[in-house]
Amino acid sequence: MWTEGYMPVQMLIHLTVMMAVYVGANYFLKKIGKGIPAFPQAILIWLGTYSYFKFAVAPPLPSTLLYTFMGLVTIVIFLFISSTEQGWTDFKRPILGTLMAVNPMYKGVRTFSFVVLPLLIGYGTYDFNVPKFDEPIDLRTVHPAPPASTTVRGQNFTLQTAQNPYRVEDNGEYMEPGHEKKYFKSNVFEPNAPKYLQYVKEGGSIFFQNCHFCHGDNLNGRGMFAFAFVPIPANFVDPGTLAQLQETFVFWRIAKGGPGLPTESAPWASAMPPWEEHLTTDEIWKVSMFEYWHTEFFPRTWE
Amino acid sequence: MNKIFSVFNKMNAVVALAVTFAIVATGTLILTTAQAAKDEKPAAASVRPSKPAPADIEAGKQVYFRKCVWCHGPEGAGDGPGADRLWPRPRNFNQGTFKIRHTGSGELPTKEDLVLTVTHGLPGSAMPSWEGVLTAQQINQVVDFVTTDLVKDRSFQDAENEEFNLIDFGKQIPSSEESIKRGREVYMNKGKCVECHGEEGRGDGNKTQKDEWGFPIFPADLQKCWNFRGNREDPYNPKNIFREVSTGLNGTPMPSFVDVLTPDQRWDVANFVISLCPKQKIDPLTAHPAMQVVVRSRNIEGDIPNNPEDPIWQKVDPQYIGLAGQIIHKPRNFVRLVDEVWVKSIFNGKEIGWYLEWNDRIKSVATKEAVAQAASFQETPPEGQPIALREYPMFNDAVAIEFPSKWKELTPPQKPRFVFGDAKHAIDLWKWESDGTVQEYTGHGAMGGDLKLEARPTQNVKAIFSEYKNGVWRVILTRALTTDDKENAVQFEIGQYIPTVFFVWDGNNGDHGLKSSISTWYYTIMEPPTPTKAYIYPFVAVILVFGLEGWILRKVNAAKQQRK
Repeated sequence: MWTEGYMPVQMLIHLTVMMAVYVGANYFLKKIGKGIPAFPQAILIWLGTYSYFKFAVAPPLPSTLLYTFMGLVTIVIFLFISSTEQGWTDFKRPILGTLMAVNPMYKGVRTFSFVVLPLLIGYGTYDFNVPKFDEPIDLRTVHPAPPASTTVRGQNFTLQTAQNPYRVEDNGEYMEPGHEKKYFKSNVFEPNAPKYLQYVKEGGSIFFQNCHFCHGDNLNGRGMFAFAFVPIPANFVDPGTLAQLQETFVFWRIAKGGPGLPTESAPWASAMPPWEEHLTTDEIWKVSMFEYWHTEFFPRTWE
Repeated sequence: MNKIFSVFNKMNAVVALAVTFAIVATGTLILTTAQAAKDEKPAAASVRPSKPAPADIEAGKQVYFRKCVWCHGPEGAGDGPGADRLWPRPRNFNQGTFKIRHTGSGELPTKEDLVLTVTHGLPGSAMPSWEGVLTAQQINQVVDFVTTDLVKDRSFQDAENEEFNLIDFGKQIPSSEESIKRGREVYMNKGKCVECHGEEGRGDGNKTQKDEWGFPIFPADLQKCWNFRGNREDPYNPKNIFREVSTGLNGTPMPSFVDVLTPDQRWDVANFVISLCPKQKIDPLTAHPAMQVVVRSRNIEGDIPNNPEDPIWQKVDPQYIGLAGQIIHKPRNFVRLVDEVWVKSIFNGKEIGWYLEWNDRIKSVATKEAVAQAASFQETPPEGQPIALREYPMFNDAVAIEFPSKWKELTPPQKPRFVFGDAKHAIDLWKWESDGTVQEYTGHGAMGGDLKLEARPTQNVKAIFSEYKNGVWRVILTRALTTDDKENAVQFEIGQYIPTVFFVWDGNNGDHGLKSSISTWYYTIMEPPTPTKAYIYPFVAVILVFGLEGWILRKVNAAKQQRK
């Protein structure tokens, strides 16, 4: 139901669809003369939206945001109800009815709520004051601004101008991002494969000797060690990662790893090794190329 | 009745409710029926597969050479580029040896068996779940390719090898105390399971077994049901255990018990095995126990007990901490044999106590040879030599807890680097080793594999209990809440989130120094006592609301009187 990175859009779509269905159903009920009265309707909408925000949305909304949303919903409901005199009277009727205990049913409701309400408020107060041990929220920037240049194994790379030396057509010319599409479905294990595919194969071999433990056999961040880490390893299949980055950015992130991150990206928690400790610059370029080939994304270019 | 419904003026709300209920009920019915159909066992006691269509085999080959070849190899011999750093190694398909099946011992699996394996992956190994990555059709096709082209010399013609006997599940015996007791009896005696899987099921019975290809293999640790290969992301389902006990695991020393145990006995054993596994909430994304990042330390009266069986320790639930191999700095630990540690923490007015428990099949204490080799230890086995065959000198088993030395000076969420700190931010690490030593260290990082961990002369951490028994280490460490060395040693404060990392070393796996199992940053919080206001405020609130209600009632009654 939820695709990583698309929560806000999906939430808006869900809400729109739910609203359309609700309005449609309401219209239909009214048409056949069985329209729901204002008070239960207001309660229904309030509980419906609350359950959606509280239980359906993933990742879960922070409580402050939930309160803000529900506050807005409450205001909108009241605005709508009080927009016509009739609506307001309809809405008030059951409330006043309960308070005045106009019939035995209302009297029962009144007795019940007059007992339960104070107890609920008591519990709420207790719950608010008792110490909580929730996980502190650690926010981090996933894709920080890269440096202008980086020195890897004694070699300096300017991120704006550096090119992947293995991204080549068979005649040795640099292959502009996008042109590798013709190789996306090819078998890199084929003997006599074009140069580009041979490098992809070398990159893949490096990936499956070093990276899959965390980033996973399908590059989706679900490797066999991933379950032990917070934050979880990057998911390259998600269009929010590789496709949004220049290849030199990927090169820099691989070479410098977690320790190379700026403070806002929580370098202390990242399990990403500075790969320059284990791989040559050539190997890093090849791994990056493999990741693009396997996920079928193109690196972003410097506009 | 009519009177009650009159609340809603008409019967509309009731109609709406009825419609909703009808929809939900129908939906549930459809789903249950579908599920029941899915659960139904194949009617035939044996199956005869037919040769897959060439178009499917070709399509499966495309998938294989994109997704599978990296570990399983171009010829399917389990020797892809990634294979040598894996243990368990990727499956060699060539002889048609598959572990997870519904077919008889030594037989090929059914197509459904392999489709399930690819779909759900093999927990505890590098084989992931391909659900959502490959379509159902692609999974079917890749299985077609593997079972025809990579399982060598298979004609699909000879009845002798192509007629598979499906196991008979009989009538499932639901888990109960009696069934578990009977299962234990079979485990200890008739089934002889104990000989390999050990007294308490931690897989510590036979430590020198080999698989069909000569690679070392350990019996499964039955206390970690989330690591059972055939558990299909459903760790607590005894059906999987029944199946494996019945079919055996081809290529491994695990035999089929079809001729030894009756179906009832196999169900009892299955129920017993599942009862060994601690009940945890399983995270569907990882198929492992869900991670809780906060470790709560409980306040106790009196001394920290030096015995895990003490009621004070028993009252605290152990918390699961998942461990990864330290593969960040050299020497890297690609195959970590300890993948979890369970912790408890308690404190009194003076001290904090940590209980640490982890399963380890082999108790190891360092040999002189290991100590001598430690300095020149190489992480990567020579080219072409599988890590699975690597033999290590025996180092100490060990466990450590790490805290930032001066966590108060860091603005949350800032911390030192989780791998032994960094140049700017020191960590305080308490390490217990199986030779009985306890040592406090100050860490300044491990960049470039240069582990900057200095032993401190002061010793405030004490190991008040340590024991190895039946495949499990249990250690209790204590330390005063505050010490004199404010520069290096962590100082504890009640009600504060203190970052914490856990390490375990498995001596017989060559673990020492940086080669270790490591957790991510957790938070320890020493629970503050519940403040008095938490009891007074609700009381006041209740009185106030009652008062308000009384006032409303009076007003309402007055209004009613007036109307009359």
